[in-house]
Amino acid sequence: MALLEVDNISKRFGGLLALNDVSFSVEKGEILGIIGPNGAGKTTLFSVISGFAPPSSGEVRFDGQRITGISPDRLTRRGLVRSFQLVQTFADMTTLEVVTTAALTRRPIREAIDYAAAVLTRVGLGGKLDETPATLSLQDKKLLEVAKCVATDPQCILLDEVMAGLTMAETEAPMQIIRELNQSGVTIVMVEHVMPVIMRMATRMVVINFGEKIGEGTPDEIIKDQRVIDAYFGEHLDA
Amino acid sequence: MIGKGFYQTLASPWLWGVLAVAACLPLVLNSYHLHLLTLALVYVALASAWNIVGGMAGQISLAHSLFIGTGAMLSTALLLKFGINMWAGLVIAAAISGALGAMIAWIDFRFQLGHLSFVLITLAFAEMGAIIVEGWEFLGGASGLLLPRDTGDLLAFQFGGGHGAFWVMLGLAAIIVLVNVAILNAPLGYYLRTIRDNEKAAQAIGVNVLRHKITAMTISAVLTSIVGTCYVRYLTFADPYLLATPTITIEIVLFATVGGLGRPFGPALGALLLVPLGEVLRGQLGGAVPGLHYFIYGVVVIVVILATPRGLLPLAERAWRGLRRRGPEPRPASVS
Ligand SMILES: Nc1ncnc2c1ncn2[C@@H]1O[C@H](COP(=O)(O)OP(=O)(O)OP(=O)(O)O)[C@@H](O)[C@H]1O
Ligand SMILES: [Mg+2]
Repeated sequence: MALLEVDNISKRFGGLLALNDVSFSVEKGEILGIIGPNGAGKTTLFSVISGFAPPSSGEVRFDGQRITGISPDRLTRRGLVRSFQLVQTFADMTTLEVVTTAALTRRPIREAIDYAAAVLTRVGLGGKLDETPATLSLQDKKLLEVAKCVATDPQCILLDEVMAGLTMAETEAPMQIIRELNQSGVTIVMVEHVMPVIMRMATRMVVINFGEKIGEGTPDEIIKDQRVIDAYFGEHLDA
Repeated sequence: MIGKGFYQTLASPWLWGVLAVAACLPLVLNSYHLHLLTLALVYVALASAWNIVGGMAGQISLAHSLFIGTGAMLSTALLLKFGINMWAGLVIAAAISGALGAMIAWIDFRFQLGHLSFVLITLAFAEMGAIIVEGWEFLGGASGLLLPRDTGDLLAFQFGGGHGAFWVMLGLAAIIVLVNVAILNAPLGYYLRTIRDNEKAAQAIGVNVLRHKITAMTISAVLTSIVGTCYVRYLTFADPYLLATPTITIEIVLFATVGGLGRPFGPALGALLLVPLGEVLRGQLGGAVPGLHYFIYGVVVIVVILATPRGLLPLAERAWRGLRRRGPEPRPASVS
């Protein structure tokens, strides 16, 4: 059954059509990879799905129900959570406090504190519970983005380039976490530029270029799709 | 439910030791010093109540003179004009203040005008409140209202002047500081701090921004109104220029900032240091150069903010930890 359905979504910023009639669906339990060149509209797509940006037209359904127009915090409480490509910082809180807040989505306070510490340990930030997010390295900030999402006990996570800027060796830990999460039943939608990573992780992929969906299929199909090669990989060769 | 930190504070011998010693002070202080301390406690209570919305939630409210004014002027007017017992007046005023606070928080959310909107909207409401109080005879108009003499009749909200007023303010200040500690350790405290630090990211992790802003503002307004009612009983004279104009809010914001925003004991520390300082300065210098004490206040604030941007409390905490590490095990209930 489809957990998340994106139906003919368009998003206009003034004269710019950032998303043009995009449709796809995500099955319960899968890892869907979304790829596309810079500025293709991937983050905008996440903002529309997660309720941060209203679509100009089209609708999104989650668990069979229309969620367009519902606020981001309500969607998180319903089990659909996003991470931010631009890592978010908190000036005067510790990582433990931030992740505890996320854990309060579904847990009473004392349990939330213990659970937040456990989640932070699981993503590898166990030694940094009392540090301020602003002082973390980029890699750790990305891990914190993952930890915040996980602590809300979601059904579906939208991960926006959580491995950008990491070396191949550094991607191993987050990949393992995401796999474990998926095995525990969480549906994952991930945007990633690191091709080897997304090829190994995704069960299915959607390709976006200039706001339009130009391809969809398993990683093997995508890598052979001529339209995708031209639009996506072609641009990289030009650059 | 509330986290462990709150119960640890409640169980701290230091808390009860300080309160016990403070409660004995009326027996040894002269009436001028007792007055200074009572006044300081009024501002401890006000700054701590403001801290819930201004410090923890980071919403710099300048509306609080509205709540002090409602607590003070309305309860006095209800007593004088309708003979309504001041205990009932306290409750009525607190309910109205809470409703006003909720409404202001909601209006700010509905008509977001950018980062400064909360400051400006709350200031606009405070100014409107001041105009209403000064122009409306029922609330005393520009000349204010005079309460009947305090004969110590508890049922009539009278605490017998000096000592009684001090104990009332001490109790009220302690309760409001403890409310701060409770909120900080409760889910609300976590929600408010994420809202303060990053509203968008707070929403993404499930925090209902509007609801918690309204809750914070309502709690803060109700507590502030109650302090207003107790303060006017102590003053006996309900002066609209003191109690219902934004100047008093500016003082509160200043004390809270110097002490340490968002921390449960920060605003209390700021008020305890600055109120007596201000009063002494005014006593010494006020006659010669009116307003000079405000100037010196300003200098103190600027120096403190530059030296320790998070306020004096973090500084005091570091010194305290240093002392405890070096010195012998502190004896409980002995306070220097
Ligand atoms: N708030 C906004 N206002 C105006 N234009 C925007 C806004 N957000 C995004 N855009 C534009 O929409 C287009 C898509 O941007 P988006 O961030 O979604 O791309 P992306 O696929 O996530 O790119 P990247 O790989 O660099 O993260 C870009 O041209 C961008 O400049
Ligand atoms: Mg992006």
